[in-house]
Amino acid sequence: MMVRISLTVNGRPVTAEVEPRWPLVEFLRDHLRLTGTHVGCDTSQCGACTVHVDGVAMRSCTLFAVQADGAQVTTIEGVARDGKLHPLQAAFQEHHALQCGFCTPGMIMSALDMIRREPALSEAIIRHNLEGNICRCTGYYNIVKAIAAAEKATRALAENPSA
Amino acid sequence: MYVGQALRRREDVRFLAGDGKFVDDIAVPAGAALAFLRSPHAHARIRGIDTRRARAIPGVLIIVTAADWAAAGLGKLVCVHPMPFGDGRPMNEALRPAIASGKVRHVGDVVAAVVAENRYIALDAADAIAVDYEPLPAVADTAAALAADAPLLHEELGTNLVNDNRRGDAEAARAAFAQAAHVTELTLVSNRVAGSPLEPRSYVAEYMKDGDSVTLWATTQVPHMLRRWICKYALKIPETKLRVIAPDVGGGFGQKVNFTVEVATVVWLARALRRTVKWTATRSESLLSDTQARDHVTQARMAFDKDGKILAMEVDTIACLGAYLSNFAPSIPGNSYPQTITGLYLTPALDFRVRCVYTNTVPIDAYRGSGRPEATFVNERLLENGAREMGIDPVEIRRRNLIPAARFPYRALGGRTYDSGDPPALLEKLVALADYAALRREQARLRARGVLMGIGIAAFLDKSGTGPSAQLATKGGLHGGYESATIRVHSDGKVTVYSGSHSHGQGHDITFAQIAADRLGLPVEDIAIIEGDTSQVPYGNGTWGSRSASVGGTAIYRASERIVEKARRIAAHALECEAAAVSYDDGYFSAPASNRRLSFADVADLAYHGAQIPVGDGVEPGLECTIFYDPPDLNDPEAMHLAVVIVDPRTGQFALKAYYTVDDCGTVINPMIVEGQVHGGLAQGIGQAMMEHVVYDRESGQLLSGTFMDYAMPRAADMPPLASAYHCTPAPSNPLGVKGGSETGAIGPPAAIGNAVVDALWHLGVRHVELPITPYSVWRALAAARKAAA
Repeated sequence: MMVRISLTVNGRPVTAEVEPRWPLVEFLRDHLRLTGTHVGCDTSQCGACTVHVDGVAMRSCTLFAVQADGAQVTTIEGVARDGKLHPLQAAFQEHHALQCGFCTPGMIMSALDMIRREPALSEAIIRHNLEGNICRCTGYYNIVKAIAAAEKATRALAENPSA
Repeated sequence: MYVGQALRRREDVRFLAGDGKFVDDIAVPAGAALAFLRSPHAHARIRGIDTRRARAIPGVLIIVTAADWAAAGLGKLVCVHPMPFGDGRPMNEALRPAIASGKVRHVGDVVAAVVAENRYIALDAADAIAVDYEPLPAVADTAAALAADAPLLHEELGTNLVNDNRRGDAEAARAAFAQAAHVTELTLVSNRVAGSPLEPRSYVAEYMKDGDSVTLWATTQVPHMLRRWICKYALKIPETKLRVIAPDVGGGFGQKVNFTVEVATVVWLARALRRTVKWTATRSESLLSDTQARDHVTQARMAFDKDGKILAMEVDTIACLGAYLSNFAPSIPGNSYPQTITGLYLTPALDFRVRCVYTNTVPIDAYRGSGRPEATFVNERLLENGAREMGIDPVEIRRRNLIPAARFPYRALGGRTYDSGDPPALLEKLVALADYAALRREQARLRARGVLMGIGIAAFLDKSGTGPSAQLATKGGLHGGYESATIRVHSDGKVTVYSGSHSHGQGHDITFAQIAADRLGLPVEDIAIIEGDTSQVPYGNGTWGSRSASVGGTAIYRASERIVEKARRIAAHALECEAAAVSYDDGYFSAPASNRRLSFADVADLAYHGAQIPVGDGVEPGLECTIFYDPPDLNDPEAMHLAVVIVDPRTGQFALKAYYTVDDCGTVINPMIVEGQVHGGLAQGIGQAMMEHVVYDRESGQLLSGTFMDYAMPRAADMPPLASAYHCTPAPSNPLGVKGGSETGAIGPPAAIGNAVVDALWHLGVRHVELPITPYSVWRALAAARKAAA
């Protein structure tokens, strides 16, 4: 049985026939070919599959595609604008906050959501908010640094996206 | 000079934008999906397999079992680093079968493989296969594997023993123990861990009708070795029929070196079906099938003279290798472990024994640290307890026992001659970095208030850059220790370097470009690095054992030198002077006493134009060089860690308050990359020390830590405040002076944190705390101490 869903992915309207059992991540990766969103654990533990659904960070491995019907979905592919890295992405490079790059998209999506939710960041707040994202390479030190370094520019961009 | 600079990584942009290309990202038009049926039993006889119902499911393309594997005349997975008995007898070898035959020997052992039109059909069909198992008693407990009544995994061997090896001199050690002023003894368990790179393993085998060959995209650290193993040992096909590409790989840590149980089947069935076949592990499958690590049980003693100087060490270890021998498994307890067992101390006598055993568990193999964390835990816990029992400060006892710089190269009794180092300087750097005296004052101040702070130190060495090849072969090793590099200068003077190494997070691209740019005298932007494709890169041994910088980097260094020398001869011809007289600076070849000069690009142009080559001198057109560099020796990175903990003695809760590291990894090529390696290693070391634990039910052999909900790994809030420093004694065996820089973080934490917790609780009678050090294990240690006191 296929179900028709209509949603917006990275600002682009998408209508598709999906099986009810498809996780959102499978729809994004295999059918829309947005392979920046990764599957690391299948059990909502690692956060590599984090995307934004209606502006909120969610695990696309434990959300069915049909549940995203009508939603605005943003994946890692929708974060950079016009070929220019988002300040948070740029900070990850500057601070060597990634090694193998597999957890990185989920880290970026979680960190963007963290900056949206938290009125102000501190090291402790950043670490606490990363509890749903596992990185096996970096020991998190440089991820924490990168998020702290990009907080201001990320807020400025959120307030004035056209700037 | 680019070497020494923290240049940023060039691959980051694609990862950050979501444009990384991992194996599972590869689109497979008309691809078929593979699913494995795995054993639910730790140990069982297979009485029959009925695939009829599964075959009838629409969309199923093929189902295979061990019988089909045997009928096709295929082989088992290979153990490339065997370790015979100490008396020369071959080890008791039981290789891992791609599909279990007759018996299953661990939960997750592969019983059948199904290929279907999609993954859902394949999984449904695997579920529909009926296997008639006769469950057998299992042994999943390392310490019990050699018991007289232990179930035998491989009856034909008549024992669960793989091998039995001794190092040192038992007689000398016995004599030293007899004279000792003090002897300390411990039973130590190095907990089994799962490497768990965040990217699950994945293989896409694309069948190419043209040439009847397969292109395999694989999550591997060793594309050439994997090709060789699949073709030579398992499928028995020419290597030219298989191209292996390791694209972006999401972490490896040693675990993606191994000849995994699934990969040959994926290739085999792609060939059989003449279709692209894909398999990606779920995380649960990863935990049931990826090789795991550590899992030692050790009885050990250390003898001291009255001044706290080590007189002798006695070690008796049972090392689990799982249900079958994985690729490198025997060499970890057999080589890396004894070679680092006496660490950085002058240990004049050693009686070392290690017995490797089979149990009904997932095979063990290399994982970051490989043997060194196990060794360091034994050596450092013994020294620490000895110090406390003798009333000597832990820093002071290390000062008395460390190998002085002047004693290098130092022949350790475990069998390795350490190449270089200055352990006393490292210790003083650590003591200053952590302000050890202030920490002790803080500890006393808190103790007066009833707060229990502990300080723990670990001093240890790594062992990197495995080679030379001839040495690896002395015990029957089937792989080399060299590395390849091709430098191809294009006709415009830009350069592509092809390296036999493989980067899966370590930042080879910028690191290798820095080495090549310096030697070639070119801007780093002019250097591109290519790795991970058997069709593009000469045979390489890939990345493991911290070998990429010292072996792979040296290959690039040497090849760069040869390029410059050839370019110099071409330049000399054009400049009409002797090659020896031509200088090369800042990218220009200059004739002596003249203002004539040629840029590197000018010379490249000449080399490919071909008309102005000094043919009489035996110079060929083109500007390209391939090197296979075999290192004359390994190298010995050294490091020291200091951990500070606060322990709550009522609950066993403890917090890691601060961590300090000092590393000597020789010359640092890119300090940003090296620091990142220290950080990442540390997270894995702290993981082993404080939470990571693969748990099997002792009775049934069932895996109890089968998802990331049960297998705990450090998260951001688990990592302590960290301060790091570096010290450099260049490695003598390579021209760069580099040593491995990526494993020390994973080696020290169990010992440093263990020593810190024991420091906090010593006055309460606690003498040891088991790994992983959790609130529960601390609480148990406290309860046992209270009971012993009562």
